[in-house]
Amino acid sequence: MAKNRLIFTLLMQEGTYMLSRNFSLQSVGGLDWIKEFYNFDAITFSIDELIVLNVERGVRKIDEFSKNLAELNKGCFMPLAVGGGIRTMEHAYSLLNAGADKLIINTPLIEEPKFVSSLVKTFGSQCIIASIDYRVKKDGDNTVCIRNGSHPTGKGVDEVVKIARNLGCGEIYLTSIDKDGTGEGLDLELIRQVTSTATVPVIASGGVGKFGHFTEGLLQGKAEAVSTANLFNFIEDGLIEARSDMQKEGIKMASWNFSFYSTVPEKVGYSKKRSQ
Amino acid sequence: MVSIVNYKMGNIRSIQNALSYLGVDSRVIDSPEEILTSKKLILPGVGSFRVAMEHIRAMKLFEALNEAALKQGVPLLGICLGMQLLATEGEEEGPTKGFGWIPGRVKRFSPERLSIKVPHIGFNTVYFEPKSKTLFEGLETCADFYFVHSYRMICEEPEKCVSSWADYGERFVASVEHRNIFGTQFHPEKSQSNGLTVLKNFCAI
Repeated sequence: MAKNRLIFTLLMQEGTYMLSRNFSLQSVGGLDWIKEFYNFDAITFSIDELIVLNVERGVRKIDEFSKNLAELNKGCFMPLAVGGGIRTMEHAYSLLNAGADKLIINTPLIEEPKFVSSLVKTFGSQCIIASIDYRVKKDGDNTVCIRNGSHPTGKGVDEVVKIARNLGCGEIYLTSIDKDGTGEGLDLELIRQVTSTATVPVIASGGVGKFGHFTEGLLQGKAEAVSTANLFNFIEDGLIEARSDMQKEGIKMASWNFSFYSTVPEKVGYSKKRSQ
Repeated sequence: MVSIVNYKMGNIRSIQNALSYLGVDSRVIDSPEEILTSKKLILPGVGSFRVAMEHIRAMKLFEALNEAALKQGVPLLGICLGMQLLATEGEEEGPTKGFGWIPGRVKRFSPERLSIKVPHIGFNTVYFEPKSKTLFEGLETCADFYFVHSYRMICEEPEKCVSSWADYGERFVASVEHRNIFGTQFHPEKSQSNGLTVLKNFCAI
């Protein structure tokens, strides 16, 4: 059967990589900068899947984003899921042509459900991921927020999970805005609630700060995949260590030879620094 | 030089990226003339069996591919849908004839019977037939590869053509090999170093 997945989420704004805390953004640096200082290759070689989100707050420039994505994809030999500002079929084609395997849809789940259906119909449910961002209110109820988490919809997570299912989305990407960027750990209770009823795989995100949090999301939350967007907690071989840690806990993870990458001669336009 | 056949179905860029990472020159081709002057062919593909064969026939690639694969003996690798097209017939959107180089049929997984979710998506373990090392040289007896598919090939002569298997509710064909013809149901270009190893082996034939 298919394995559990460890996913890294890159937040991109006009070619710059961002860190997020409770959905407030902070600039980190360009792709070259990250490659040089943070051995980004070590991250891409140690994950099962890469998510890239265009988090521009104004009008999102899909062409520019597609260009950056195509550049990034040159060194990525795993499935690539992308999202942020996909509102037309042209946007979808542009991103798929740039190398995306899956499209992540958030605001249109609520505001343009017909568009989501047509994406599912055109590209298949395996291609469309429903992204659900939520906050927990003071009374303990949760509310799903759209438009970069800024706009509470008044709908609960369960209701939006149902909407996603009815639209035919093939996966759910669940993010706690309250936990996002805090490193405190995932919102296990809500993840468990979603995975117990969801008929499609669930990617749990928001709050991962150390290895153990991945394991918790999979074993206690029963998610199929866990994701982190925190570049700094898992620099160098951090995610490789995380994988072996998860395997020790009995989680079924795909395995491959990480040292393969250092045996390939250096190519133009592609940095291949390895930590020795 | 590896030629990637572009018949307007699927993710060619990722395959090009993987080859270029391995230091292998590649070109994207879409004409019968180019097929006949190729030393090595990759047939990619994502989408429906029927539409794929319609494109291949409309672009007049069918005869040229037959000539290259059967008469010229050019090494050919079909990936995902590209592997399924090597079979005799596919059932997706009605029965459609494939190339017929690998005797077999392509049928949908039965989720009801096997209690599985279809499509099959994600990394899964592939178990190699000990005799077929061509594509799997440098790997152990099994390795993980990335799959995304709803249909799988059922081979008429598995002992002759199947080079590896995987489990998803049932044992299914993960790759085929017959003379100069190869196919992988998984995506080597999306399977980290395991997949790069397979592509490297194909390029070294």
